[in-house]
Amino acid sequence: MSPIKVCILRIEGTNCEQETFDAFLELGAHPEMIHLKELTPETLLEYQCLMIPGGFSSGDYVRAGAIFAARMKSRLFSALKKYVEHGYPVGGICNGFQVLVELGFLPRLSDHPEACLATNDSARFECRPTLLKLENHCAFTQKMDIGSIYEIPSAHAEGKFVSPYIEELMENGQAIFRYVNPQGEYAGYPWNPNGSQYSIAGVTNEQGNVFGMMPHPERAFHIYQNQEWTRHSSTAGGHGRLVFESVIEYARRL
Amino acid sequence: MDVPVLTSNEEELKEISRATGVGLELQEMQQVKEYFQRKKRNPTDVELQALGQAWSEHCSYKTSMPILKEVLLTIEASQNMVVVEEDAGVVTFDEDHAYVIAFESHNHPSAIEPYGGAATGIGGILRDVVCMGAQPVALIDPLFFGPLDYADSLPRGVKHPKFLFSGVVAGIRDYGNRVGIPTVAGQVCFHPGYVSNCIVNVGCIGIVKKEDIIHSRVGAPGDYFVLAGGRTGRDGIHGVTFASAELHENSEHESRSAVQVGDPILKEPLIHACLEANGKKLLSGMKDLGGGGLSCAVGEMAYAAGYGAEVTLDTVPLKETGMESWEIWVSESQERMMLSVPVENVDEVKSIFDGWDVPCTVIGRVIPEKVLRITHKGKKILEMELDFLTKSPRYRRPYTVRTIHPVVPELEPPTNYNEVLLELLSSPNICSREWVIRQYDHEVRGSTVIKPLNGKIGYYTHGDAAIMRPLRSSYQGLAITADVNPRWVELDPYWGAAATVDEVCRNLVSVGAVPHSLADCLNFGNPEKPERLGDFFQVAEGLHLVASAMNISFVSGNVSFYNESHSGAIPPTPTILGVGIVRDLRCAVTADLKASGNSLYQVGTAQEEMGGSEYYQVRHVTGNQIPQTSPGVLRRRTSALLAAIEKGCVASCHDISHGGLGVCLSEMALGGNHGVSVTVDDRNLETALFSESPSRWVVEVVRGKEDEFEHVLGEDAHRIGAVTDGFLTINPVINLPLDQVRAAWEDTLWRMMG
Amino acid sequence: MKAEIKVELKEGVFDPEGENIKKALHLLGFSGVQNVKLAKVYTIEMDKEENVQEMCTKLLTNPVIHMYDIRKG
Repeated sequence: MSPIKVCILRIEGTNCEQETFDAFLELGAHPEMIHLKELTPETLLEYQCLMIPGGFSSGDYVRAGAIFAARMKSRLFSALKKYVEHGYPVGGICNGFQVLVELGFLPRLSDHPEACLATNDSARFECRPTLLKLENHCAFTQKMDIGSIYEIPSAHAEGKFVSPYIEELMENGQAIFRYVNPQGEYAGYPWNPNGSQYSIAGVTNEQGNVFGMMPHPERAFHIYQNQEWTRHSSTAGGHGRLVFESVIEYARRL
Repeated sequence: MDVPVLTSNEEELKEISRATGVGLELQEMQQVKEYFQRKKRNPTDVELQALGQAWSEHCSYKTSMPILKEVLLTIEASQNMVVVEEDAGVVTFDEDHAYVIAFESHNHPSAIEPYGGAATGIGGILRDVVCMGAQPVALIDPLFFGPLDYADSLPRGVKHPKFLFSGVVAGIRDYGNRVGIPTVAGQVCFHPGYVSNCIVNVGCIGIVKKEDIIHSRVGAPGDYFVLAGGRTGRDGIHGVTFASAELHENSEHESRSAVQVGDPILKEPLIHACLEANGKKLLSGMKDLGGGGLSCAVGEMAYAAGYGAEVTLDTVPLKETGMESWEIWVSESQERMMLSVPVENVDEVKSIFDGWDVPCTVIGRVIPEKVLRITHKGKKILEMELDFLTKSPRYRRPYTVRTIHPVVPELEPPTNYNEVLLELLSSPNICSREWVIRQYDHEVRGSTVIKPLNGKIGYYTHGDAAIMRPLRSSYQGLAITADVNPRWVELDPYWGAAATVDEVCRNLVSVGAVPHSLADCLNFGNPEKPERLGDFFQVAEGLHLVASAMNISFVSGNVSFYNESHSGAIPPTPTILGVGIVRDLRCAVTADLKASGNSLYQVGTAQEEMGGSEYYQVRHVTGNQIPQTSPGVLRRRTSALLAAIEKGCVASCHDISHGGLGVCLSEMALGGNHGVSVTVDDRNLETALFSESPSRWVVEVVRGKEDEFEHVLGEDAHRIGAVTDGFLTINPVINLPLDQVRAAWEDTLWRMMG
Repeated sequence: MKAEIKVELKEGVFDPEGENIKKALHLLGFSGVQNVKLAKVYTIEMDKEENVQEMCTKLLTNPVIHMYDIRKG
């Protein structure tokens, strides 16, 4: 069985690519870091998974993810569309989520963005541990359990998910992760660090193969990255590892 | 353009120095005159500017280096690989890797334009680490401001501490977060002495394979000088001469151009490209363009290898047209690196930078003779021997060491200890730094194992040091901390400096790290005043006392003088950055209490030495008897405590510092959301609870390991109580519900900063 | 040729930056400040006719939260 090839896409300002790369590598996949300008409609098809990592692509200077998305759209839009229609998994973490929304790939395929990751209600960059409840499954969650709570940290200034179609998304089961407090309740700030509608932390498209989340699973890969690991004796992996294990498993079955 | 130095008298020489902004003293101008008399010509404006840069205090350390060499830089440590002579220190990490430390001040630019000044401070310190071939892994930022509630009228041109604080934090946040290097440690200190001069120190730690270490010197004659990164503009002209003079009320208007503008989104690919080219062994040398711009970088790189350089300014990419030659030569525009590249590698280097969309240009080459020669638009505009240019004068300026007469205030014991403790917890120098810390991404790169805030999810307390895991293949960690108590150094420079090193070591030991190396950022007033230089001398001696006893040395650092204005100088502020090695980070310890029923021990005992303490501050009295660190005691306790941590006896540990035992216990309680029940010697409760005597910790011992712990620590540890739930109880005098403790500690900065 | 594009939040979209600046102004003693709204202005210089409208829809705005106003001059 040959390893799954993963394309980790980057441009200037992408800065979580190394730890995303390491996560895939440690799980036996074959990740490659590819600069956006090197990716073509043809080379895209060499990969069984496309990941857009976190960071501040192009400084987030117009709006988080907007420049990265506009550049992708101008060169790769139809190729990406086909890629998604074929069922290949596409994931965006933090800035990558913002890119997928700006690109019109999340919450569903459209010419114009149908959602926005707006400035946090606190108007501040927030770096803090967050707890996520798995609500529905998608290509990135098969190894996780619905209703369980996962500790995966957040670090962003623009993560407030808003959409005029929010009710529809909820009904469709497109909300994958929602922020909760330790009791598992949908709570306000700081548990919901940005003020997202319905405490949404991650969403998928209608087919379930495009997925974006604000928190950083690559920063919760090992137990020693957890906020409170010194309080426990467990040496099992961090919760974020399951996201990577899930998508590798999904891509393998394609 | 020639400058008429040869025919000028003393007054005219002074006027030339002033009018051109080069900031040279009279005797230096006279040396310049003598040199050009021998050359039988006047210097060009470019030459004079180049000398101004190279001989500035900031670049040359002309006042500080003689003292530092004599007093501080004498400690040998076998782990050191590169000490002081380059942009960053390099220290052995494991068999194949080294870590790199750089630590600098960015005070004057931050006082004028806090956002841009602090941001470019981060940019500069990253370049210092990258130019050794290292990947940056952590940023550190100790900050010092006037009181946030400062209500007196401000001197003209001085900005309110609140504005400076929020601007500096925003600058560090926006640059550090964007460039993708975590900010994991630091300090925020408020003191009236910083109203006119805020202090912004920035540090960076990197990791490098030993075989990839590259130096700030060229390879061989014939190598090309390749300028990589951003374009050169008028921003950042005279930054170093600006840093080497006192601020005055017009500084704001005159010195705007000394503030550079940072671009983290150019820096990020620049770092990648430099490290890629270095990793492929294509470079013979690398140096960052910081203070002094091209002028310092080219000259120093060539001189360090014993060669010279021929450079043309014609190919330097510019931000604007119409720039004068000297402006191009001394500009400190950000995001630039200087590479020396063997001829056969130039094309490959260029293609790597192209891949990252980062400009790079050949601007000259290395020549065998030790001469620097620059041409622009077909004209030779600079030709000087590097022996003259880069070998700046050295000064032995006069200094006076102060005498200290002991002052011990009359003070009745407080009537209500609960109130005193709450007031201490909410005081600006003790209260929670969450407002700052959560604005910084302290986890990007995924290698922050112990974060700046420790504790149970939903609760938090300040950790003593952060721990990074620089290599994914190894469980060896790097612990990082920074500290200074300027109030102590102000009262007694020698013992204040000694206590600073004590605290840094304590912080490292708290998390289970062996203190391994230090870097210093020595912020002082005007060294031409003998009493300021006297303080500097004593600080150097105090730092040496403890560091030498701990067998660790200062591998990198910077001296920032002239932090002074007409309203006075800052308190002497020797900020110390400490790095420790954590042999197995899986055994690391945090400050948050873990479980009810565990025993609590105090390592060390409090002494009556409360000058400069937070307790005196809240009681509104002053005294100057500050703690006198005993290096031998620190050393003994350090090794015993580390042994106890290694044996798995320690559930949590926190050093006792600002606010004494009472505050230490409160912080541990808040992080774990547990209470404590503690009894201390009640013959002198104020001392027992609030003294800040050094070399002390509170340790929570794992149940069942008490005997082992006591055996390892011996006489140094005393059981003081146990972990409980819900209440903080000390003797009969303190009894507070945890929520009240939390509210006092957490709210201050949020209330003041919004 | 020059175009000025003003991008601001749609009516009813919460503006946390504006709120925080308002709070800061209150803290500085400007008690009369009732509301602060932020907008971004892009000044775009061109040497040939370009579709500025398209710049807005392709990059400069997200229609979920933004409205914009173009001024040519």
